[in-house]
Amino acid sequence: MQPVIRLEDICKIYGMGDTEVRALSDVNLVVNTGEYCAIMGPSGSGKSTAMNVIGCLDRPTSGRYYLDGIDVAGLSDDELAHVRNRKLGFVFQQFHLLPQLSALENVMLPMVYAGVSSAERRERAAEALTRVGLANRLNNRPNQLSGGQQQRVAIARAIVNRPVMLLADEPTGALDSQTTQEVLNIFSELNASGITVVMVTHEPEVARQTHRIVWFRDGMVQHDNMRPADLAQMTLTV
Amino acid sequence: MNIIESTRMAVKTLTANKLRSTLTMLGIIIGNASVITMVGVGQGAQRYASQQFESLGPNVLFIIPGSEETRDRTFQVPRTLTLQDAEAISSQVATVSAVAPQLQTQQPLSFRNRQSNSLVMGTTPDFLSVRDFGVDRGRFFTETDVQRNTQVVVLGSDVARKFFDDTDPVGQQLRIKNISFQVIGVLESKGAFLGNNQDDAVYIPITTMSNRITGNTSPYGTEVTFISVNARDEASVSAAEFQLRNLLRLRHKVVNEDDFTVRTQKDALEIVGNVTGALTLMLAAIAAISLFVGGIGIMNIMLVSVRERTQEIGLRKAIGASQQDILVQFIIEAIILSALGGVLGTAIGAGGVMIVGAATPLKAGISTPAILLAVGVSGGIGLFFGVFPARQAAKLDPIVALRSA
Repeated sequence: MQPVIRLEDICKIYGMGDTEVRALSDVNLVVNTGEYCAIMGPSGSGKSTAMNVIGCLDRPTSGRYYLDGIDVAGLSDDELAHVRNRKLGFVFQQFHLLPQLSALENVMLPMVYAGVSSAERRERAAEALTRVGLANRLNNRPNQLSGGQQQRVAIARAIVNRPVMLLADEPTGALDSQTTQEVLNIFSELNASGITVVMVTHEPEVARQTHRIVWFRDGMVQHDNMRPADLAQMTLTV
Repeated sequence: MNIIESTRMAVKTLTANKLRSTLTMLGIIIGNASVITMVGVGQGAQRYASQQFESLGPNVLFIIPGSEETRDRTFQVPRTLTLQDAEAISSQVATVSAVAPQLQTQQPLSFRNRQSNSLVMGTTPDFLSVRDFGVDRGRFFTETDVQRNTQVVVLGSDVARKFFDDTDPVGQQLRIKNISFQVIGVLESKGAFLGNNQDDAVYIPITTMSNRITGNTSPYGTEVTFISVNARDEASVSAAEFQLRNLLRLRHKVVNEDDFTVRTQKDALEIVGNVTGALTLMLAAIAAISLFVGGIGIMNIMLVSVRERTQEIGLRKAIGASQQDILVQFIIEAIILSALGGVLGTAIGAGGVMIVGAATPLKAGISTPAILLAVGVSGGIGLFFGVFPARQAAKLDPIVALRSA
């Protein structure tokens, strides 16, 4: 089976000459379909840069990145936008819902850019919101929803275009421990139904609920496949 | 994303920010309202002035002393036109039906203890038919009065009221420049002509005028201010112009440049049209500046809006909006703001035009081209001033945009 992510010798270098910063150096990583994976590491380790490259928001300076079998390293901005739209679903720490739109309309947004017909958009958005347990909140605005509910709307928005992978950047960073668990349960359920989930987090309790941890340090992958059980030892050394 | 989706999205965003949208439109509303009103008023003035000249009748010609050039150069025009010229035209130009030489100055009038300055006009009996005046009471002076220099006067209706209230002035003695004149009639009210009140004037035989009041005689004969001529019919206006021009050239022994100017109603309309057209253009230009300023206002707000909605733009890009999608969305927002502002401004401008039309004699009208132009221009302004902020938005890096606080 084709891996969802295959990074080959990915380098990301900011600046030139003396001020050159190697944010990623020769990163190799494979994530297969159906995995539930956390990217961790101390700040400055390159995990955010890696997330941006994986999310097609940024291009590597060198190396190859196959997303679902497509080489995306050399694509233009608009081509990357198209890839993000069709293949990826994003969940952010700050939710990033549009305040002027209802929950349903927020979830419909990726399909607007995908050119899905209005009727189908509505149907699929309602379906996605039902899946995250918000069937009775379709017409609420974000400011009428709790933080956990807002993040669930964001998750619905991320899965509605049937992506090959869900990318979550600190998805529980703005939530309390109870709603954190609610959101993680949804991730688990989605993963159980076959969706690949990759999340960046700095919370060991969150990472522990995934199946695989990739540990970044100094722009490199230090541990490619840690079991969550080994995490306590790792965090102590940081 | 297609245009309909973009438009729906833009409407949603704009209605979510009603106050800001309204304030942004205000500049365009004011700009449009002033363009519509100014052009309406300008055209109203044009129409008003044209009607004044049309009311003279299409057969009227004016002869004024001095050539076009000398009238441009000097204030003191040559006194080349004489009463004898008028008589010659009357007797020798076949296409002319009536000739009214006119000699006019402002003079003090008095009756008992009442005094006032009014226009005193010396003319001939033909004046009535040339200028289409009617006698309300008594009679106008006759050819005999002109020949005999009689001291009789016909009053404009305002002068009659000013000096004699509601009593019959006919038979009374009115003093003009301290010379006693017998009132023989009162004219019908005629209203203003180009802002001059024609009812605040008195009319006396032209011979009496030049002999007793002005005393002005040019080296050529009895001077007149100008001569009004009525052609036999509309078709003979140009023939009459040609003939009386030749006659006057012969009489004045003109070698080079004419020492008089002939103007037809058509000429007068043209001149008025040029002047008021320039006026309209000037008003429109001033109003256009406010439209332009309104456009800059839109650009300002759009730039602020792009700054404020950085996160929204970042999110849209992250979930798959192309640069063009973002560009189109912001441009459509700008166009909607300015076009809607244009429509509202046009409605207000139309209201302004109606008020001006109702409150003044200017027949201010709402012109369809002005409306189309104003709405089209304001839509174009939205496009023009929306492109720059929209490009700023489209070029945002999604990573930076998502991170911004």
